[in-house]
Amino acid sequence: MDPLVTTQFLNIAFGIATLAVLALGLAIVFGLLGVLNIAHGELVMAGAYAAWIVQSAGLPYALAVPLAMLACGLLGWLIEAGLIRPLYARPFDTLLATWGLSLLLRKTAEAIWGLGYKSVALPLPGTVDVLGAAYPRYRLMLIVLCLAGVAALAAWFAKSGAGTRIKAMVANPDLAQAVGIRTGRLARNAFVAGCALAGLGGVMVAPLTPVHPFMGIDYILESFFVLVVGGLGSVAGLVAGAGIIGGLGSLVSAVADRTAGYTAVLVIAILFLWLRPRGLLARA
Amino acid sequence: MQKRSVTRRGFVAGGAAILAAPVVLRHARAADPFKIGLFYAASGPAALFGPTQKASAELAVEQINKNGGILGRQVQLLLADAGGPPAESTKTAVRLMVQEKCDLFVGSHDSATREALVGTIKARVPYIYTPIYEGGECAPNTYVLADTPEQQVRPSIDLLTKEKKVKNVYLIGNDYVWPRKTNDRVKQYLTAGGGKVIGEEYVPLGAPNKFEEAVTRIKGAKPDAVVITLVGADNVNFNRTFAGFGLDKEMLRASMLLEENTLLGIGAENSKQLYNCMSYFSSVPGAAHDAFKAAYKAKFGEKAPQLSIIGVDCFAGVYCAKALVEKAKGTKAADLMAASEGLTFSTATGPVTMKNRHPDKPMYLAECEGTNFKIIKTFDNVGSGEACKQA
Amino acid sequence: MGSWLAHSAAVAVVLVLLPLGLGDFAAYQLALYFLYAIAALGVGLCWGSAGFLPLGQAMFVGIGGYLSGLALIQFKGSALLLVLLPLAALAPGLLAFGLGLILFRGRRETGPYFALITLALSLLAFQIANGWNSVTGGFNGLKGIPGLPGLDDFSHAYWISAAALAVVIAATSWLSKAPAGVLWRAVAQNERRVAFLGFDVTLTKAAVFGLSGVLGGIAGVLYAPQQNLVTPQLVGFTLSAELVIWAAVGGRGSLYGPILGTILIGVLTAELRNTFAYWEVLLAIIFIVVVRWAPQGLVGFALPIVERLRPRPRGPAREAPARVLPGGGAAVAFEGIAASAGPVQILDGLTLAVDHPGITCLIGPNGAGKTSCFNLLTGELPAAAGSVRFAGRAITGLPPTGVTRLGIARKFQIPNVFPGLSVAENLNLALWGARARARDLLKLRLHRWSSPLLRELSERYPFLAEGRNRAGDLSHGERQILELAMALAMEPRLLLLDEPCAGLSPEETHRVIDVIRWARRRLGLAIVIIEHDMSLVKELADRVLVLHQGKLLAAGSIAEIQADPAVRAVYAGGTK
Repeated sequence: MDPLVTTQFLNIAFGIATLAVLALGLAIVFGLLGVLNIAHGELVMAGAYAAWIVQSAGLPYALAVPLAMLACGLLGWLIEAGLIRPLYARPFDTLLATWGLSLLLRKTAEAIWGLGYKSVALPLPGTVDVLGAAYPRYRLMLIVLCLAGVAALAAWFAKSGAGTRIKAMVANPDLAQAVGIRTGRLARNAFVAGCALAGLGGVMVAPLTPVHPFMGIDYILESFFVLVVGGLGSVAGLVAGAGIIGGLGSLVSAVADRTAGYTAVLVIAILFLWLRPRGLLARA
Repeated sequence: MQKRSVTRRGFVAGGAAILAAPVVLRHARAADPFKIGLFYAASGPAALFGPTQKASAELAVEQINKNGGILGRQVQLLLADAGGPPAESTKTAVRLMVQEKCDLFVGSHDSATREALVGTIKARVPYIYTPIYEGGECAPNTYVLADTPEQQVRPSIDLLTKEKKVKNVYLIGNDYVWPRKTNDRVKQYLTAGGGKVIGEEYVPLGAPNKFEEAVTRIKGAKPDAVVITLVGADNVNFNRTFAGFGLDKEMLRASMLLEENTLLGIGAENSKQLYNCMSYFSSVPGAAHDAFKAAYKAKFGEKAPQLSIIGVDCFAGVYCAKALVEKAKGTKAADLMAASEGLTFSTATGPVTMKNRHPDKPMYLAECEGTNFKIIKTFDNVGSGEACKQA
Repeated sequence: MGSWLAHSAAVAVVLVLLPLGLGDFAAYQLALYFLYAIAALGVGLCWGSAGFLPLGQAMFVGIGGYLSGLALIQFKGSALLLVLLPLAALAPGLLAFGLGLILFRGRRETGPYFALITLALSLLAFQIANGWNSVTGGFNGLKGIPGLPGLDDFSHAYWISAAALAVVIAATSWLSKAPAGVLWRAVAQNERRVAFLGFDVTLTKAAVFGLSGVLGGIAGVLYAPQQNLVTPQLVGFTLSAELVIWAAVGGRGSLYGPILGTILIGVLTAELRNTFAYWEVLLAIIFIVVVRWAPQGLVGFALPIVERLRPRPRGPAREAPARVLPGGGAAVAFEGIAASAGPVQILDGLTLAVDHPGITCLIGPNGAGKTSCFNLLTGELPAAAGSVRFAGRAITGLPPTGVTRLGIARKFQIPNVFPGLSVAENLNLALWGARARARDLLKLRLHRWSSPLLRELSERYPFLAEGRNRAGDLSHGERQILELAMALAMEPRLLLLDEPCAGLSPEETHRVIDVIRWARRRLGLAIVIIEHDMSLVKELADRVLVLHQGKLLAAGSIAEIQADPAVRAVYAGGTK
């Protein structure tokens, strides 16, 4: 195969794999709690700053992963207790409250770190040869890790008891509570986990993009479109959604240009929202 | 900082007659301060530059006031946020004209806001526009200090075609007027210099952009150089991706708006073979600039906002105001427009001379060295290429 | 009517006095916020009244702005503008109406999905406005737009905007007081009940969305000559978001909330953005606090007072016109009906007929498919096979609105009324749904409609005459009665009742039975009742249908059913 075509395929794989992980936290929160957490992107931003702090302190980059997940998980715990819990039954209001929160988090980041772009050096620089195409090592590593992570998640979700409880809760929260699943605690844990995953996403993307207070906006919308297209409640849906949104965006950008890619993503999202709001692989 | 708080009572004082009058007529007394309204990015996407814009203008005002002000009047700076939508800026402009009886505006903001302000001010107050722009502003009583495509592109393309023997060029930019106008000029000079454009693409403004696909396409097109008209975070993102794919070792890059903050975001390890031509870098040599930097540091200390072309332009804006008004001996539009031709005024890097309401100025070609700009060539008195007729 | 006029006049007086009190510059500043307020009012109508949240209102403002700008540039000073500018304001409304029709069709409670579609459309519109240089002027905008002929000065801006705002307030306050406004609020609270009163829910929501589009359009059309420039920001997400924030902070549920919110936050922003560095932080906190603790916004604090001051409807009651139903009797026939929910087969080759006036009881064990029968008959459950006939025509798959218009009324098991509306409004909606044409809904006099049947019901249940009480404040039993009264007020020919006495005291049960019998006599209608309580069945039923596992098990008089061995086998272990 032409090395360029190989590279574009790897780009598409990269787009899908990273988007799946970025959307994962949002999927957990939206799928389980029905909360559309608009501040998810700002938690990604917080994770990216955590990565920058770790690197600036001269510590090994891998340390950023637990640190960012811990910090974002803690933030998530505060947000859940203070803002989300009383609003569970009011979907518009959670959307708007987390939107207000996203404004607040951006401004907070601006107050602490300023508006300047922070540069996080690639922890794994250079390129490797993949079928004749020189592909950046770090991106390749992300593709592999993300896919492995999603596969592991799928396996766990299919087998473990927690997976079953989660599926029950997505399908019917009232019934789940009736059969003794502690939905309140599960909801809190799910929200915290979703936020921690956003932090992980931030650590992942930090070396690739400028780190600044407004970076979160870039991730929230596409992540949400992933959920809409794929449907909630299954790992397969998440992967399908990321495949369509990330893949379509990358594919159209590869054969045409970025404007066309962006437009295609918006149009496909509108079509799904309109014609198939429960997504491709929604649980009945 | 001198700043008048805006009170409700102040609004009431704003006279109805002046609001309705077609021309703001005023007889200033020597004791009245000379009021300059500074439109800068206190909020919005360009807010990164706000602190530098404000600091540079304040420094100029302080220096001018120490030396007797403008026509003997002390200068007072009125701050106005131009980072919001254009309609907010025009509203502020009306307030400054009517209620504060502002004498002159200096603006460092995007072109949409400039068009809005020009339409609102309607030449009633002189207006000096300072940052990089796409050219073409010839509205009456409007004076443009900004770098034009002509000023930026000619030296850049000279470097590429003559010194670096570049033949094939790939263009990538954000999809709006400045990159397209700039690239028109790039194509013109490139053709003249024997090179050609082998690829051109634009990415949407204000969208979550990724550049893996574009970089792969560039890799396939194998140009000798890439001319970049991306701005802000997109510029950072593209250059990081470009270097991440290892292309920084294979081809040259010439960016058209790459200032200190953007370069910090791109990072030292991603800035190999990256060139840039603008009228200001914080590393420009010369006594005038050294004096400016010393004064800036003395006034704002070690934590002073990062010097960059968007920001320091406001220093020149205020000095241009002084020179213009003093040469015209007042603020009548016709006098000012006549005075502007051949007007010489100070900038942070030394004096420049205005022609067709755009200055001819020295342009600096810089090569990135880590996160610093190394000036490799200076072009003196580069014309703006604008031909605004005198009114 | 009088109150509406007084109210609009008061608004006009305030608008005239404002510049005298504040000075001309403040007035000029308000001119822009008045336009935004008109657009925010559209958000308020959709979100606060009709219950769906638009996140792309700026798109309509921007379209109006670009159209108006292009018209003003092309036809500078021409009299054609008198036609073109109103058309430019109407065009975004038509677009919104069309979008509403396709987006709301066949969907209930579209929730956040609708909001996100409008958001995505707004992002798309920004890209188009930014990229289509030849028409929109691209990023720098459509410039050099002339002012309105003869009104091209700062000082005129206020009067144009104020006049537009006054007209918009008068028109929307008329609409929200008119039956149409009651209908919108009803849609926000209970779309299902609205459909079962015979209203077209899709059309209603699309109409509100269309109206909000027109309001956006008006704002945009006036923005262009006021600002002399239209840029892509005017269609973009930021303005859309601000409009929502303003409406939320002011109070989305009332007419004045979005207007006051816009003006207050707008003026505060203008005053503070240059002097108070943390203004945006404060605004974000205010927004969160409002969403979390004060969903009715600032106006919410004044609402109890306003409620108390609200005048009672005046004037003599007017007789509602008699309901006209197409011919064909009230006979229902199911023929080989199959239906399933997911993997579960609910109805399985069901064939039955209800062809006598009088009371038919539908019984059967849990899961027999009784409520599914009602759902299928009223178009809420699709039939996988078979056909349904009613009043001599095939109605398989006809949605609730259509079924209701053929003369079927339905009372649900759990009381299904409009809790936020008054008792009188609940009853009025039932009268209007069956009798009023769409354009009648703009007439205030419909509030005084009454019918002999309603008066007789009110005599039996005096709380029905206490029209000003909120339905949500009624007891469970009273809500059951209210819903039954609404169904009867429609004067249907077939009434479907799903456990009408569930949760009622013996006393209330007795009275409900009484009303059902009375209604059968009074209206001569056919009634089908789902009932578990065999003593009630014995007391009421002229005829009994027994369902089991999605099939008809038996049909006949109560005595015949009790004697049927198949029925006894199913109910082995005795009846409940």
